[in-house]
Amino acid sequence: MSLNPFRASALHPATWWFLGLGLATVASLSGGWLPEVLVITVAIALMLTCRENAPWSKSVRFYLWLGAFVVGVRLLFRIIFNSGSTDSVVAFSLVELNLGGVHLLGQVSWLTLEAAATDGLRLAAIIISIGMANTLANPKRLLKSTPGALYEVATAMTVAINLAPQLIESLQRVRKARSLRGRSKGISSLNSIVIPALEDTIEQSLGLAASMDARGFGRRGSLTKMQIIATRTLSLGGILLIAFATYFLLATQSQMIAIAFMISGICSLTLTIRIASARNLRTRYRRQKPGIKDLFVIGLTVAVAALVVAF
Amino acid sequence: MIEFRSVVFGYQRAESPIISRATFTLRAGEFTLVCGPTGSGKSTLLKLMNGLAPHFTGGELSGKILIDGKDVTGYKPHELAELVGYVNQQPEGSFVADTVGEELAYGLEQLGFTPTDMEHRIAKNAALVGIEHLLDKPLASLSGGQQQRVAIAAAMAAGQRVLALDEPTSALDATSAAELVALLARLAKEQGITVLLAEHRLERVLEHIDSVIVVNGDSSVVKSAPRDAFKDYRLLPPVVELSQRLGLEPVALSIEEAKRAIATPVTFTRLPGRVFGEQTLLVEELVVRYGNHVAISDVSLNAQAGEVVALMGANGSGKSTMLWAIQGTGARSGGAISGPDNTLVPQRAADLLFLNTLAEELAESDKFNKVEQGQTAKLFLELSNRTDPKQHPRDLSAGQQLALVLAVQLVKGAPLILLDEPTRGLDYEAKRHLVAAIRLMQENGRTVLVASHDIEFVAQIANRVYVLEEGEITAQGRTEEILGPTGLMPTQVAQIANQPGLLLAEQVGKREN
Repeated sequence: MSLNPFRASALHPATWWFLGLGLATVASLSGGWLPEVLVITVAIALMLTCRENAPWSKSVRFYLWLGAFVVGVRLLFRIIFNSGSTDSVVAFSLVELNLGGVHLLGQVSWLTLEAAATDGLRLAAIIISIGMANTLANPKRLLKSTPGALYEVATAMTVAINLAPQLIESLQRVRKARSLRGRSKGISSLNSIVIPALEDTIEQSLGLAASMDARGFGRRGSLTKMQIIATRTLSLGGILLIAFATYFLLATQSQMIAIAFMISGICSLTLTIRIASARNLRTRYRRQKPGIKDLFVIGLTVAVAALVVAF
Repeated sequence: MIEFRSVVFGYQRAESPIISRATFTLRAGEFTLVCGPTGSGKSTLLKLMNGLAPHFTGGELSGKILIDGKDVTGYKPHELAELVGYVNQQPEGSFVADTVGEELAYGLEQLGFTPTDMEHRIAKNAALVGIEHLLDKPLASLSGGQQQRVAIAAAMAAGQRVLALDEPTSALDATSAAELVALLARLAKEQGITVLLAEHRLERVLEHIDSVIVVNGDSSVVKSAPRDAFKDYRLLPPVVELSQRLGLEPVALSIEEAKRAIATPVTFTRLPGRVFGEQTLLVEELVVRYGNHVAISDVSLNAQAGEVVALMGANGSGKSTMLWAIQGTGARSGGAISGPDNTLVPQRAADLLFLNTLAEELAESDKFNKVEQGQTAKLFLELSNRTDPKQHPRDLSAGQQLALVLAVQLVKGAPLILLDEPTRGLDYEAKRHLVAAIRLMQENGRTVLVASHDIEFVAQIANRVYVLEEGEITAQGRTEEILGPTGLMPTQVAQIANQPGLLLAEQVGKREN
């Protein structure tokens, strides 16, 4: 398979998620608007250069609008619920309203605006970073890398991801068709467009489910009694350990105990998944393994995040 | 290979079963056509093969189904996955993976084949259906015919001995459909796979099949040899109808057979010439571009009042784009269109229906178009048979849905009618209704522009034909020229008789016996 260096498929899908979450972390930890703008720029640049012509890659514009919307709302709220600090350079003045002790509008300073914009940009950067991962990571390839025990859950998620664009397509098609006929007043667009499109999508997903079943999806081997006992004990134990770890972390000073509990909890959950995967008869075709490029990207992400935390 | 012993299947609520008393056997390597009117239970019969009925459809099953000597009654689909491969009408809706190779691998992964074995089987099956050069391609980039080949290869990759296919050719143009059926015939013959194929357009498959299972409207299921199946069958493919009209015994099933058996020239009546009204539609040098892709380049056409004009060509040749541009809401990048008010019936006619009962749909149409109450219902009755007004529009057959949408659109009274691929999913009976409806529109002086790749259908209705190829008109002329023996797309009867002016079996008088 040829992997174009500027195509999303050049990296393992999990790497894209790692990078996306890394960028989101950087965005949420750093202060000031410049880092946020940089994160947004990087995420947008990656989306635009690497995305492929796939159904899950078509919502770039949606993430950008959502980001812009968040910044806009943030600014608007700050202007409306302005606490009225007057010690800095005033950007503009609005008529101040006093509603029973609550001050609205009034003088807006540059500092207030900057703070609001930075807050908004931080949220926008997180949204766009996650959006980038969603746009570039092929959910079907990601599914191939999930452990067998989680396969059913992962499949359900993949089907859901695939259905969203189908629903949009159905909506567009039905709306276009509907305009050919017209409708009387009193028939809502919910009834006449949304419901048929939903019906259409549900029909399609049932069709997909039938086709998957017909090809053997849902087969499983059986676990021995010992294995069943082991998975139940380990999973319950793992969850308890993580709960304790959270308690120690939040309520006490004993961070070392918390970390020890956390690690053993994660280990026992991993073991559960390992054992439960044994009943899986499924095999994988051309499973994509993380390569040098993936390690490089992951390393770089960790380094940048560490730098941001350190300073 | 497959044995049905008095199988009965039905839904509790319905009074009569969908399938009753089905008893038949199919041997290994037998290629069987499953036919019958729409809604008769063809799909259900196929779904019984691998447990999709009753497990996905609901309903109750009694009797016994044996596959390869094993009683599989009540088995779940995934338990039968290595025995029976199933392919449905819309492959794009059932694809699980992104690329061809991964799609072929999906079933093998579920059944636990080792990676080396997988590679081997994928290569072998891809070569069998002729898609070995496409293994790395994304599924979305393939043509409809290629996608169906992928679906077939995926359905037999694990070495399934039975293939059940539910109208796999319904969205394909004539050439791709013919190739697909020939492929299935080869798989049955050379690989010994038992193939069950549900299909409306009998003319596409007759010459290849070994046997026919007719699922009748009254739920009875009868298996017979192809020659006997159509003796008292009302829905006839052109070859059979022609040989019956000429009194051939036994009837011919393929064009080659008919050519040998029928003495030409045949006496026939010419199709009546028509006088049309004034020119109503004029399209001049129409251009439609999507980004860099030119969908329609410099197409000019015209139509007169009372004329039926057909746009023909393979899938993706630009037929739908033309209709939407003429309708007015489709994209248009250049050229001029002048025409009267029009009304379009899109490919998926059911998209126009949105109410809960047939009666409500009819009433809403009267109300919206401000016509006398009952007008739409009257039109609907002209186009279809009597139907329970309380039925949900989604439960109507494809033919009834089309009739309803036609009634809703025709009541608007527009002088220009645009039909996009109206025969998709229709059986012979419904098609006959549609032909009558179009002839009626013509009588009333309306202009009909129809996009279709159904040659036999176009031959019955059109006065003139334009052939589109990759957005350009490559041929145009009277129907007798384009669909005649020396034309670009001859009808079956034209190919057999090879006489100018003879296109349809109905032109040949019935011989008295």
